[in-house]
Amino acid sequence: MKIFIDPPNSLVLFDLVERFGHEPLSAMAAIQERVDNIEIDMPPMNVTLDDVVKGLKYAGVEVPSGVRGRLAVWGPMIEEAEAAIVMDECPYSFGCVGCERSNLMVKYLLKRRGIPVLHVDYPEDDAQATDLVARIKEFLEGLQ
Amino acid sequence: MTIKIAQLSCGTEYSSVQYEIDKAARSVGAKIVYPDVSASEIDEAVRRFGFTPRSNQLKLMIARAVRLADGKYDADAVFITTCFRCAEGALVRNELRRFIQENTRLPVVTYSFTERLKASQLLTRMEALVTIVTRKELLARERQTGITVGLDSGSSTTKAVVMENNKIIGKDWTPSGDVVKSATTVLENALKMAGVEMKQVEAIGTTGYGRFTLGEHFGAKLVQEELTVNSKGAVWLADRQRGEATIIDIGGMDNKAITVRDGVPDNFTMGGICAGASGRFLEMTSRRLKIEVTELGKLADQGNWRNAKMNSYCSVFGIQDLVTTLGEGKRFEDVAAAACHSVAEQVYEQQLQEIDVRRPIIQVGGTSLISGLVTAVGEVLGERPIVPPDSQYIGAVGGALLSSGML
Amino acid sequence: MSEERETRLFMISPRSMLTPDQLVRMVHAFGEEAIVKETCYGCLVEGPRSKVLEIRDKVREDHPNEVFTKCRAYPCSDPRRCRAQHGTRPGFAQLEEEWALLARIQRGLEAVDKGAKPSPREERKKLSVNEFKRICEVQE
Repeated sequence: MKIFIDPPNSLVLFDLVERFGHEPLSAMAAIQERVDNIEIDMPPMNVTLDDVVKGLKYAGVEVPSGVRGRLAVWGPMIEEAEAAIVMDECPYSFGCVGCERSNLMVKYLLKRRGIPVLHVDYPEDDAQATDLVARIKEFLEGLQ
Repeated sequence: MTIKIAQLSCGTEYSSVQYEIDKAARSVGAKIVYPDVSASEIDEAVRRFGFTPRSNQLKLMIARAVRLADGKYDADAVFITTCFRCAEGALVRNELRRFIQENTRLPVVTYSFTERLKASQLLTRMEALVTIVTRKELLARERQTGITVGLDSGSSTTKAVVMENNKIIGKDWTPSGDVVKSATTVLENALKMAGVEMKQVEAIGTTGYGRFTLGEHFGAKLVQEELTVNSKGAVWLADRQRGEATIIDIGGMDNKAITVRDGVPDNFTMGGICAGASGRFLEMTSRRLKIEVTELGKLADQGNWRNAKMNSYCSVFGIQDLVTTLGEGKRFEDVAAAACHSVAEQVYEQQLQEIDVRRPIIQVGGTSLISGLVTAVGEVLGERPIVPPDSQYIGAVGGALLSSGML
Repeated sequence: MSEERETRLFMISPRSMLTPDQLVRMVHAFGEEAIVKETCYGCLVEGPRSKVLEIRDKVREDHPNEVFTKCRAYPCSDPRRCRAQHGTRPGFAQLEEEWALLARIQRGLEAVDKGAKPSPREERKKLSVNEFKRICEVQE
């Protein structure tokens, strides 16, 4: 199944989803589609004005452009997802996921989609990490 | 030499504007760089700075600024930018600007962008950053020598000044029409006034929107953006070449607020959301009042803005306010005062929040001749600005002064 | 490349004894058609998607819980993302942080392999105002 991961650029979540037999939907894949498009020359990411305008589907014009641009890239993946894993209270989320308002909206959009969503906390010790892995495994196996 | 402009930002890539920023920097011989920080430094940097944003990209911005402040990353200038309408971003942007200024001598410019940002909008700002870095010695020049000419091709008016041995000997201005024709007219008149022949002129400096066209046409020795040129002109005219000052230039199309140290800008803002906060609004007001814009100032000085409500971010709404106010039978004096106050207030809200005002405040540009506007700016800032003689000629004077350094 | 390009980063857990050099040699030894580039955290592998996935599976077979992987949007050495061109990009700090977390995830995977199950979640609630007031009164 197609699993949306949040943070969408997380190595840990991407790896665990694949490891337990599913297909992660990640920010990297969405950006790859753009960076490989040789018809667009808007480096570094080839996110264009059209993308940001498409973001109006998710948030009004009074919402900062960075939020709309992010939602334009991730929104279609959320729509495509059959389930999702969200790491809450992630202390570090940089780059693609550096904007807290966009991140809040992603969680909300997942909720509205009504798909199964597993919320896990960022682990602070080995026991919590074990619990995180076990919960993700159980969730993903349960989807099959 | 490629000038390294350190970018501290949030949201540029997802707003489709990073490419435009890079392009603007490249076109003025600069390069955008990102100060390296490791993840382990971020928490400590945020703690030191003392503002903990929720968005991690803003934390990264802070860590990069700390790196610059500690002199651990080599850059020549700083560009701080965040999404327009993001409150968290705006707070961090402005406080980081202050932090950089307190801890480094790097010139800084801040900007809040929308997805519509184009490289051309950033060009003057980027060019100014590069000028400040590459023309340090030229900008330190305090005396004009020889016979030189400055041409300032602005959005509303075109000005020319002829200078000889640190004195203005000829000057003229005209409303801007065709860039070259307007400049030729004012140049001829200024030369006539000075009693100088064109062939005696040793150097020409051009600035303003039409600077490149004029530079090419007249074979100028100096073609330079208006932020640095106007600053030099302003401190020369106000005789405040040493120490700190703030220069406020409410222009026909955009406004500039520049802080200077020994005549060299170290922080500036430029622009405005709309013509509502510029000289253009005062022109529209005077047209509606059927008076000359030059009379508007005197009229405003006799009125009280509190008697006529006019508060708008946009010239269209501003004119609506004006029509309503006049319809209510308000006095022209009060309406003129309200128009001046509205412009001053918006400059305060938009430009002066992005810089730290330093005394003395020097108000320049054509609009500084509208006394009511100077009064309004003084009222908003709690201190009447200095308006030097020939304050509308700052760009032309700066051009003549600096071009003499190219002899 | 007729098939869709895939660029993948392989990151070695900080608890692993494996070095990036060993990992790269191992990937080369698989003999698949792919570009392999050693990095400070492991390596980047680029090639047709099916080949890269084969490499992923083989690496996981040999080092099940100590090498982690995700795909990367940009091809190897893409100047748009090259650190030498502009300095680090924002996602770099994220990778550094996740790298540190991998030691714990490795332990977690090992424990789960041995049969560890999720523990029941404790709901942590804030003290009620009345309870807090009672504690304050006791303190007085």
